[in-house]
Amino acid sequence: MTYVIVSLSLYVLFMALFAYLGYKKTKNSNDYLLAGKDINPIVMALSYGATFISTSAIVGFGGAAGQYGMGLLWLTVLNLIVGVFIAFVVFGKRTRELGHRLGTATMPELFARRFDCKFMQGYAGLLIFIFMPIYNAAVLKGIVDYISKFLSVDFNTTLIVISILAALFVVTGGLKGVMYADAFQGTVMFVGMAFLIFYTYSMLGGIVNANTALTRLTGMPGVAEQTAALTKIGFSGWTSMPKAGSPLWFNIVTTLVAGVGIGALAQPQLSVKFMTVKSGRELNRAMLSGGIFILFMTGVAFTVGALANVAFYNATGQIALKAAGSNDGIIPVFIKTFLPQWFGGFFLILLMAAAISTANGLLHTMGTALGRDFLKQSLNLKTRTVTLTRISMVIGLVISVALAYFSNKLDVSMAIIAIGTSMFYGLCAAAFLPTYIAALYFKTFPRRAALTSMVTGSAISLFWMFFVQEKTAGSLQVCRLLFNTTSIVKNTFLQTLSMVDALVVALPLSMIAAIIAWAVFGNERITEIPVAPSLAD
Amino acid sequence: MFGIPDPSIWLAYLFIIGGAILCVVYGIANWNKDDKSDIGGEEK
Repeated sequence: MTYVIVSLSLYVLFMALFAYLGYKKTKNSNDYLLAGKDINPIVMALSYGATFISTSAIVGFGGAAGQYGMGLLWLTVLNLIVGVFIAFVVFGKRTRELGHRLGTATMPELFARRFDCKFMQGYAGLLIFIFMPIYNAAVLKGIVDYISKFLSVDFNTTLIVISILAALFVVTGGLKGVMYADAFQGTVMFVGMAFLIFYTYSMLGGIVNANTALTRLTGMPGVAEQTAALTKIGFSGWTSMPKAGSPLWFNIVTTLVAGVGIGALAQPQLSVKFMTVKSGRELNRAMLSGGIFILFMTGVAFTVGALANVAFYNATGQIALKAAGSNDGIIPVFIKTFLPQWFGGFFLILLMAAAISTANGLLHTMGTALGRDFLKQSLNLKTRTVTLTRISMVIGLVISVALAYFSNKLDVSMAIIAIGTSMFYGLCAAAFLPTYIAALYFKTFPRRAALTSMVTGSAISLFWMFFVQEKTAGSLQVCRLLFNTTSIVKNTFLQTLSMVDALVVALPLSMIAAIIAWAVFGNERITEIPVAPSLAD
Repeated sequence: MFGIPDPSIWLAYLFIIGGAILCVVYGIANWNKDDKSDIGGEEK
C-alpha cells in the first residue's frame, strides 16, 4: 500500500505541474488548440503514442491475447506499420503542411477549409462529439474498474475523482499542458512495459524456452478440458492462428486487428498531433521514438498476456483465463501474482497514465469538435474559441462519466471497453478516411464526393454497429428493443455477417461511394478558404 | 522460429521487430530532411 500511495502522490504532483506549465505558457487559442505549433519531436511522439494506447490496449486487448493467443500480435504489426509508419509518412506530413497553410486546428476544420464546406465541419464535429464519449467512457471505465478493485474503494467515487483529475489537467492546460503531461506519462508507460517484458521472459527461461512452453501447453494434462469452449469457436493454441473462417478468426482478424489497426489512420485526436510540430523534419524524428514506444506497448501487452498462461499453468495447473477469472483480469492478476510487489504500485500508475493521457486527448478533441467545429465555425457563435472549447469539454466529460456509470450497471466489464474502442475507431475510419485521403492527395476531388463518402461511411457504419454486428448490436440494445434480437441477420442465410466488423463493410462502401460520386460530379478545383483570423481569437 | 512453429505467428513476431526497426531507420535517415509535398502554398 505504501508503494501505491507514494507513486500516486508523485504522479498527481507531476501532472499538476505540467497542467500549470501548460496554463502559464498558453497565451492564445493557437497555444490552446495546437500547442503553439512548435512542440519537440520526442514530446510529440510520446504524446501521440500515449493518446493512442489506453488501458484498453494494455489490459483489455492484453487479456484478449491471454485468452486467444499471439494472433493478436498482428494488431501490433498494424499499429507499427499503419498506426505509426504510414500515419506519419503518408498522412502526418501532409496533414501538418495543409493544416498550417489553411490555419486549421482540428480534423473537421481541415476538411471544411480544404473543400470550402462549413457543413462538413459541423457534421464531422457533431459526429465526433456524439460518439467519442462512448470511447472515452470505455477508457475511464477501464481504469476506474482497476483502481476500485485494487484499492477496494467504491466505483462511483473513483470515477468522480479520476474524471475531475482528467478535466483539471486538460481544461486548464490546453493542448500544451496535455502534451507535456503525455510525454511524462508516456515515459512512465515505456519504463513499466519494458520491465514487464524483460521480467516475464527471464522468469520463464528466455524467449525461445518461454514460447516453446506456450506452444506445448495445449498438449499438457487438463488444458484441453479448460479450452474446450474456445476450441469450439476456432481456437487452436496460443501460438497458432484460429481456424480460418471460424467465429474466433473473424473476431481477431476483422474486429481486433483490422478494425483498430486501420481505424487509427483517421482518428481526430491523433491527427491533431501532426499539426503541433513546426516542420516535416520533426515528424521524421518523432517516428524513431514513436515506433519503439508502440512496440513496447501493444507488443509487450499481447506477448505477456499470452505467456501468462505458462506462468499460471506452472503454478496452479490452470490456464490464465481460469486462474484470473475473466479476460480483463489476466494482466492485473498475472502482475499481482508473479511480479515484485513494488511493481504492482508502479503498474497502477502506468495504467492511470495510459488512461488519463488517452482521456485527455479525447476530451480536448470533444471540446474542439463541439466548441470550435460546430458552435463557433458552423453556427457562427461570437464567443471566444477557448471559452467554447472549455465549456464543450466539460459537457463531453459529463456525458462520458454518465456513460461509464451506466455501463458499470450493465455488468459486462471489459467487453464494453473493447467494444467502445473498436466502435469509435471503425466509425472514424469509415466516415473520414476516404475524405481525409482526398483532402491530402487529390487537388481536384469534388466537394460533393467528399460529403457523399462521409455521410455514406458514417450511416453504414452506424447501421452495422446498431443492427448487424452481434457483439456491438447486442451491447447497444437498440436492435433488441426494436426487433427483439441481437442481430437482424441472426438465424438467416446471412448469419456469417453478424461476426464481421462494421469497418470491413463500411470503409470499402464509403470508398466506392467517393469514387462513384467523383465520376458523376467530375473534377472540381476548389478555392480553399484562406487562413481565418479566428484561430487567434 | 523463436520457439513458435506456426509461420503466421512467428511472421507477426518478426514483423513487429522489423516494423520498429523500420521506424528507427527512417527516423535516423531523414533526421534533418524536411520534405515538402506538392500541395503547395505558403505556410502560415
